[in-house]
Amino acid sequence: MALDDARARPATPARPPAGTPPFAGDEVLPCGRLLSRVWEQARDAAPAADPHTVSCPHCREAVEALATLDAATRALRAVDAAAHHALAGRVMNTVRTEVRLGRLLPVADPDQDLRMTERAAARVLRAAADAVPGARTASCRLAPEGADAGVRVTMTLAAAPDRPLPDRAGEVRRSVLHSAGQDLGLALTAIDITVVDLLTPDPPPHPGPASGAVR
Amino acid sequence: MTERTAHPPPEHSLPDGFLAVRAAEGDEDAFAVLVQRHGRPLLALARGMLGNPQDAEEAVQDAFVSAWRRLPEFRHTAEFRTWMYRITVNRCLAARRRRRPPSLPLDTAPEPAAGDVRSQPAPCAEQDAAVAALSRALDGLQTGQRLCWILREVQGLSYKEIAHMTRTSEQTVRGRLFRARRSLQEAMSPWR
Repeated sequence: MALDDARARPATPARPPAGTPPFAGDEVLPCGRLLSRVWEQARDAAPAADPHTVSCPHCREAVEALATLDAATRALRAVDAAAHHALAGRVMNTVRTEVRLGRLLPVADPDQDLRMTERAAARVLRAAADAVPGARTASCRLAPEGADAGVRVTMTLAAAPDRPLPDRAGEVRRSVLHSAGQDLGLALTAIDITVVDLLTPDPPPHPGPASGAVR
Repeated sequence: MTERTAHPPPEHSLPDGFLAVRAAEGDEDAFAVLVQRHGRPLLALARGMLGNPQDAEEAVQDAFVSAWRRLPEFRHTAEFRTWMYRITVNRCLAARRRRRPPSLPLDTAPEPAAGDVRSQPAPCAEQDAAVAALSRALDGLQTGQRLCWILREVQGLSYKEIAHMTRTSEQTVRGRLFRARRSLQEAMSPWR
């Protein structure tokens, strides 16, 4: 990245001695505070964290000088929802023309010599694993194994810690095995499951929009 | 095969890392959630970097498509968000390099009308003009200062995240941020 002026300077105490500003172009206010620190505090600290800046007219004036910039910044931050929506649509249109199909897998119907893409199978098996309460799939890879149209599944998932992991992994395995046979006609030789993260328990039904059920 | 399964999509509750793994394996629905989640802040970032909405949209679109193609090689050593910011910033820097000389000389910039701001006719137009003035002021900053200011003030990232993203120290980030604030505050002072 083309970044410039990388001269790091030593750490700044809250009130450095006057005459040694830590940043080029910094300014010592009449009250002895550095302009850079007053601005940082106004941004980063709780309003009442420093009684001085609340009562000091110089500090107040320095902070108020940012008001116009702040108003314009707020407007800059507000991205039009329609623009975002249109952008997401264009991105996904392109993405859907560049599908990654993955490996070709044998379907367990030797007479017809059918094949299915890994991507299509993984979509169905992820959904089968996710249908188990307290389980969420990350990776789901499938590969042909053996001579008889066998397929091996390797999954990573996050599981809620409210039950022993082997129980839940067993439930996921059963759900995946059932779906592979019933929905896809795949003959699985093995389902390898690695639990890579823990979920907080599923929220109650009909949660609000911020229903992140993770970590 | 593009048909949908009957299960309700659980993607929206998944963390970025899980979605990125799924997307790397070809799951477009997972990628769509990532686009939905990060598109707006990235657009704001690109708009700050490039100054106009069309260029910003193009840069973010290119960044997402590039991310989709590169996801299979994404090693998850960085967070998806950080990785996505880097790709977008690089797209913006490339776009700026392509469009030298600067689009608008400073002396053609409209000045705010004199007098009481509150008596001005259209507050919306006034705000648009202030944002345009801010964009021009940003355009005049050094790249590092502009980037630090946008990541902090528009994106709300921590000094640590910005330092990591721009491969520099937190102290350098704070110095750049101060100089950017100072320049921008001076440029915006006629609008008070």
